[in-house]
Amino acid sequence: MSKPSLYFSNSQVTAVRLIWMTVAAILALMTVFPLLWMVSIAFKGAQESFSPALLPSAPTWSNFVYVLTEVPFIRYMLNSLFVSVTVTVVALFFHSMAGYALARLRFPGRELIFLAIFSTLLVSLPVVIVPLFIIVRAMGMLNTYGGIIIPSIFNAFGIFLLRQYYLSLPREIEEAAVMDGAGYWRIYWSVILPLSKPILSALAILFFLANWNAFLWPLTVASDQKFWVVQVGIANFKSEYSAAWNYMLAASTIVAIPTLVLFLVFQRQIMDSIKTSGLK
Amino acid sequence: MKNRSNLVAASGKSRREFLRNGATFAAAGLAGGLSGFPFINRLPVRAQDAPLKFWQFYAPGGQVKPQVEWFEKTVADWNATHDQKVELEFIPNKEYINGPKLATAFASGDGPDIFIISPGDFLRYYNGGVLQDLTPYIDEKARADFPESVLANRMVDGKIFGLPMEVEPMAMFYSIKAFEDAGLNENDVPKTWDELLELGKKLTTPERYGLLFQTAPGYYQNFTWYPFLWQGGGEFQNAEGKSAFDSPATVQALKLWQDAVNSGAAPRQVLGNGANDSVANLASGYCAIQNVGIWAISQLKNNAKDFPYGVFRLPTPANGKYVTVGGGWAFVANSKGKNPEAAGQFCAWALASMDQGSIDRVASWCTEAKSDMPPRDSALKAREAAFSEGIIGQFAKEIHPGTRAEPRVPPEVYKIISDAVQQAMLGGADPQATATTASQRLDAYLASYSGAPIL
Amino acid sequence: MSTSVRPKTKFRHSRLSARNREWIAGYLFVLPDALGLLVFLGLPMLLSLVLGLYDVDGFGAYRFVGMANYTKMMRDPLFWQSAKVTALYALMLVPLLYVCGLSLALLVQKTNRFNGVIRSMFFAPHMVSLIVVALVWQFLVVDKIGVLSRLTPALGLGGISFLGDPDYALFTVVAVSVWFLMGYYMLIFLGGLQDIPAMYYEAATMDGAGPIAKFWYITLPLLKPTSFFVIMISMVAAVAGSQAFDIIWVMTGGGPANSTSVLIVYIYQQAFSFGAFGYAAAMASILVISLMAMTGLMFLLTRGGRFSYE
Repeated sequence: MSKPSLYFSNSQVTAVRLIWMTVAAILALMTVFPLLWMVSIAFKGAQESFSPALLPSAPTWSNFVYVLTEVPFIRYMLNSLFVSVTVTVVALFFHSMAGYALARLRFPGRELIFLAIFSTLLVSLPVVIVPLFIIVRAMGMLNTYGGIIIPSIFNAFGIFLLRQYYLSLPREIEEAAVMDGAGYWRIYWSVILPLSKPILSALAILFFLANWNAFLWPLTVASDQKFWVVQVGIANFKSEYSAAWNYMLAASTIVAIPTLVLFLVFQRQIMDSIKTSGLK
Repeated sequence: MKNRSNLVAASGKSRREFLRNGATFAAAGLAGGLSGFPFINRLPVRAQDAPLKFWQFYAPGGQVKPQVEWFEKTVADWNATHDQKVELEFIPNKEYINGPKLATAFASGDGPDIFIISPGDFLRYYNGGVLQDLTPYIDEKARADFPESVLANRMVDGKIFGLPMEVEPMAMFYSIKAFEDAGLNENDVPKTWDELLELGKKLTTPERYGLLFQTAPGYYQNFTWYPFLWQGGGEFQNAEGKSAFDSPATVQALKLWQDAVNSGAAPRQVLGNGANDSVANLASGYCAIQNVGIWAISQLKNNAKDFPYGVFRLPTPANGKYVTVGGGWAFVANSKGKNPEAAGQFCAWALASMDQGSIDRVASWCTEAKSDMPPRDSALKAREAAFSEGIIGQFAKEIHPGTRAEPRVPPEVYKIISDAVQQAMLGGADPQATATTASQRLDAYLASYSGAPIL
Repeated sequence: MSTSVRPKTKFRHSRLSARNREWIAGYLFVLPDALGLLVFLGLPMLLSLVLGLYDVDGFGAYRFVGMANYTKMMRDPLFWQSAKVTALYALMLVPLLYVCGLSLALLVQKTNRFNGVIRSMFFAPHMVSLIVVALVWQFLVVDKIGVLSRLTPALGLGGISFLGDPDYALFTVVAVSVWFLMGYYMLIFLGGLQDIPAMYYEAATMDGAGPIAKFWYITLPLLKPTSFFVIMISMVAAVAGSQAFDIIWVMTGGGPANSTSVLIVYIYQQAFSFGAFGYAAAMASILVISLMAMTGLMFLLTRGGRFSYE
């Protein structure tokens, strides 16, 4: 069931579509080329690292085996998973609450609060890392999961997008609940939250990614190796195996796999939700 | 569709769970900030008997196991005989040297009790007042065991603030195979800068560079460049404490590296961790000659066993004399740590006691764990045989005599010199103009500097 | 269990007026995030502003110096050099991201299985951590033997050093940044394109408008809200974003010869390599204030960030 093209008349469509698809495919292949290269070298022997052939002459799993036996990457990945999931879930919960209030409840100072929240968008970690560290230390959270997780939760970007989304919802949806005499919490919990599924799942992916890939903060706040997240692990690996490109890229592949798989599996949902969510 | 419902179900369950955790965490965290909430506030137990933290970058799982084992054994031996325990913590090398980790920790008063520094870092920590005076823990005889030149850049006003583990002179390493392919042998090693450039060009192929110097800006690049400055009699500071950087010696040293790059003999980028990494650059075949230090011997032994290589000392300019630079890391104790007294004792016990264990420890670090010149005469004597043959023997006989210690400079001075080297080498700037500009910046800074002497 | 998350029971039994109840509910809903942002972003930023007035040695000694850090900044050639590099970087990155993001979105706009795969491929770089990205790119563009470096002689460009030559390094860094970020902006544009009613295009087809006319007179004007958002977000990302910082820091460290030293890299160096936290904080404050001015302007232009086009 093909819809008529938005841009072209039907007579133009067939020829144009073929060219269109070819261009798209070529660009897409160029885009993933560096990643294919990474995977390719992960399967190559040490001697072959710089050979210009994309396909390994004798593919081997030994790089992966070596990396996984030498370094506790599984442990690091579990740490990362725990941190990323916790941050994502808590952040979405808090952000949707804040977004709901800022978009749909009227209270004095609302615009001011929103502006203040919005302005923190401009503050990036390298700029505030020292004072942040001092605060987290004063709370006694160095070398704890809490120290890695809690400061990562708060982020104006999510609040901003959720507020935008809630602004676009029609007023009527709450009215039925108000008739029932529901409190604001009930409205939020049983009306707003279920309606937010598309945008929440889109944001969940973005948050998870950002936290899975975070490096600077987890490195700074946790010295104890048992709190190392996977990005710290890979940085350390990189400095120890600098010459062994096959090992390094095998390790990189292992680290990239969870996010790539996540994306491939949920590709449809992610795309749908991003489009329907008004993430714009 | 099925996926989606699973996802939702899963997140629904965990949402409640995490909500609970999150709220507890948040509440506890905030309370902790105000009142020292006991549930989460378990780290800052500043009791005397909490283990001292020892930060370094030899993490377990590396390719050079003896180095990690040496650290582990050192700490285990100490802990077996002392009440105040010490605990190792690892920071990835690149982050240790140029990351926010140490700076952040010290800035907020949470620095490690024991850590290791290179001469490049010395003044920053010393001027910051965090280095514990180690002199009281070292007896006279042990002190005499360290040649004065080795200790000098870790001393202020006759007091010792750092104990070197190693002395690491720089030299040139070359690939025997690359030489043979070009019809050369060990008699063809260059003696002068001109010969070096000539040979570098000759050994350059479409797949390989003839010659390799460090290209990335940093303390290490400056470190490797100093000998070329000194060989022509150059200095960055004169006896009156003014800049001496605007000199013919500076200009020719800047020009040497620039020529090497411009002629296509030397790369603009290096592989692996940098030009200190002989396996990634020399053994991989990326270059034929590499400017690298003595540690490359153990790197190559451990990670490129079958790679045949030779060593020659740094060539000299027509008007100059031979000198090389010797770096190396040192143990230091944090004077603002939990127990500076014990931390200082640990450093002295580990590296600077006349105890046989201490001498052996230094000797074993420099021979079994790494391949370095020992900073102590007794350790050198203990392994006399090892230092009389092979490549390391060549270092002991030809290369090491004439080693000048790595200068200790404040970060601002480092940056000025680094900018000059970068601009000349990679930016193609005129060496004379570069030297003049750098010299003016240096004078402006030195006029306002008031810390321990720059050496 | 914190009571802040369960305002429901409290309101049921209270005798507060409806308006007051709404007020309190509003505050309570905003509270967790507002508090968190205050403690973990606002407070550090304030501390940073204060720190800018001090000489900090990095080991716990603070000395009030007033505006000295700011006057030092004005005279510091490296600050100006970094400001220039930042401006260049942003001026290249923002338009490129806009064009690439929008082009890719138009390319894969139609929902079908083929486009689904292609979209995933465009987004794939964004899934990989920046440490890995830098590692892979360094490997690809290393002098002489990197896969891409091998291609340049074939194209008659001679041996270009992508990251080792001050004339090219910034372009390389921009290219990698675009490669990494474009999939993300493509998604945002896809969302925006989705909101444009198809009937506009149908009507235009009736009138005999060609594809270019449709793009110019329908797509572009109706994408205005999305465009505002993209430009604002990419501007912040280019000037102060952690991702831009990470890419540059791991790939070049600001070199060669300071050619990729954007302000945030210079700030980071001053703070962590030199321990000049006060000076770094002063520069960070300038950076944040100028960004605030820019976004404030955007905020006014878009009437409170609503980006509506009715």
